[in-house]
Amino acid sequence: MNWLDDVVTRLAAADSWGYHGESPSATEPTALSALALLAHRRDQAAARPIAWLLSQQAADGSLGIDAAQSTPGWPTSLAVLAWQAAHGTSLASSKYSTAIQRAVTWILQIQGSHVEQTDVMGHDSTIRGWPWVEGTHSWVEPTAMHLLALKHTGHSDHIRARDAVRLLQNRLLESGGCNYGNTVVFGQQLRPHVQPTGLALLALAGEDDVTGHVQKSVDYLERELPRQAATESLCYGLLGLAAQRALPAAADAWLGAASRRILSRGPSSYKLALLALAASGAACPLIPATQARATS
Amino acid sequence: MTIDTAPQSLTRKERQFDRRSLLIGTGAALAGLVSFPYLRRALQMKAAVFVASNQRYDGPLEQTIREGLIASGLEPTGLHGKKVLLKPNLVEPSRLAPQMTTHPAVILAAAEVFRGWGAHVVVGEGPGHVRDTEMALIESGVDEALDTARLEFADLNYSQLGWVKNSGRASNLKGFYFPRQVIEADLIVSMPKMKTHHWVGYTAALKNLYGVIPGIKYGWPKNVLHYAGIPESVYDINASLPKTIAIVDGILAMEGDGPIMGSAKPMGLLVIGGNSTAVDATVGRIMGFDPARISYLKLAANRLGPVDEHCVEQRGETWQSVAHPFTIIDSPHLQELRAPGVLISSWGLPKRAGCQLACRAPAAQVGV
Repeated sequence: MNWLDDVVTRLAAADSWGYHGESPSATEPTALSALALLAHRRDQAAARPIAWLLSQQAADGSLGIDAAQSTPGWPTSLAVLAWQAAHGTSLASSKYSTAIQRAVTWILQIQGSHVEQTDVMGHDSTIRGWPWVEGTHSWVEPTAMHLLALKHTGHSDHIRARDAVRLLQNRLLESGGCNYGNTVVFGQQLRPHVQPTGLALLALAGEDDVTGHVQKSVDYLERELPRQAATESLCYGLLGLAAQRALPAAADAWLGAASRRILSRGPSSYKLALLALAASGAACPLIPATQARATS
Repeated sequence: MTIDTAPQSLTRKERQFDRRSLLIGTGAALAGLVSFPYLRRALQMKAAVFVASNQRYDGPLEQTIREGLIASGLEPTGLHGKKVLLKPNLVEPSRLAPQMTTHPAVILAAAEVFRGWGAHVVVGEGPGHVRDTEMALIESGVDEALDTARLEFADLNYSQLGWVKNSGRASNLKGFYFPRQVIEADLIVSMPKMKTHHWVGYTAALKNLYGVIPGIKYGWPKNVLHYAGIPESVYDINASLPKTIAIVDGILAMEGDGPIMGSAKPMGLLVIGGNSTAVDATVGRIMGFDPARISYLKLAANRLGPVDEHCVEQRGETWQSVAHPFTIIDSPHLQELRAPGVLISSWGLPKRAGCQLACRAPAAQVGV
């Protein structure tokens, strides 16, 4: 059995989907598990995490971080992606359409808090995106997640989606890559991080690279990934490169090494799902349709 | 366990005053009382802080930490069977900036000390700027150290949560969601790096405990806290936690544009104490700040611990003998935090960052 078969088999056998080996189900790892199983044609195994997500949707359309915490609602975006991916499979159901509609309505009501622009910070603090927690500022990762949800559900041209694209482009560093969402503070450019860079490039798939910062971000990931051992960063980095049609030839070897590392430590559904999604490359259901068309 | 964050050196007569009732008594009565020097002293908390110089990461840190903890009032026999959570600073580790994060050698040495005293030791952190905790552990070198020492690690960003009432109430937050490992700990050891901080002056033991706040609930960065007010939330978190003590890694410190982008400053220091407020006040004096001007220490003073120099009993080296002022950003909101008479060079900034103090408040809401 190769590493990927092992990972997918373990994921299909899971009866809870948490961040760590023994932890209870949480929305993000459950949604990613469903997406990974669907990516590898394990539809029946995906039915359980998808059903769990449906059971977690609140009256306002949102999903909290787990069954015990109904807020914040940032994982709602990931549930939308899982339900949307199920549409094209044997699991297709009108229940998903209703759930998606309610979730998207909630997503469009949420926006980051405006922060007065000053010359201390380098980014444009007036662009609307999504916060981690309602009432706070817009940051890269929740904005990328919600942009992906809008793109996958046919809202690519919605003004909020266009704002999100502008925000992500604005938060890319001059030298490439991005972090959680600050660029320059007190005159110094901050350091980029692999995971948010990968997620931002994933969400920006198919968008014009007017400033050249997307290409610089691709270059950054190509430099960093060969020495990246951590699972989440490696997987999001590869997904970002796949979305930008720059998947490195060594991807499978890197993922195999990461899988051996986490399997020796008591794997979680979260990391297994990320490995399986990253291994699906350009066919990953997280990659927006515009890019999928371009690569097919 | 007898680590005492309450007044330690008060006379029997002074102890006749109940500290809490004095602190929260009626304003008019209190204002009258504190006009008498004797009574003013009675209101002030006291604590011991141990400073060790000439320390190296490849030196006998375990011995230094053991001696420092005992010298600052810890009674080891009380730790047998207790849960001790070591909380280093791994905010966004980078191999390019070892001055940003707590060195693994200090964490290992502290772990061995507490294990030797029979405690169950867990290392826990919720990195503030990165979601990938595995990456933070690898980049900081802590991952390898944990493996070597077979130490348990708690990812505080993704743990089971419990709600705890805000005992400080300086901010408008009613309470905090703390990770289970934090709530269940008998003792939390704040293990920060000695660093400048471009919003609040410097960061050490109190500010380091932002890292017990779970990112999954508060975001990356933990922006809810910024909106609640950085000094207020620093105070509130510390007021709401179980008992805390501090071991500050000042061997390789950070000056200039801290807490992320500053420069390395070799100091060779460990600062240890049973009261984090007193430790932070001492760290500030070593760095060339006036602790009485630091916003979160103003809130903590005589509520969480002593800031006044006369109420902090120095053990080991005196702070004066190891003081070496740190450079800070040339911005008014930081320059006004310097200790009177301290002459230090300012850390240069590109022209576009020559901000005015008026811009500070909204910018602080975007964290770092």
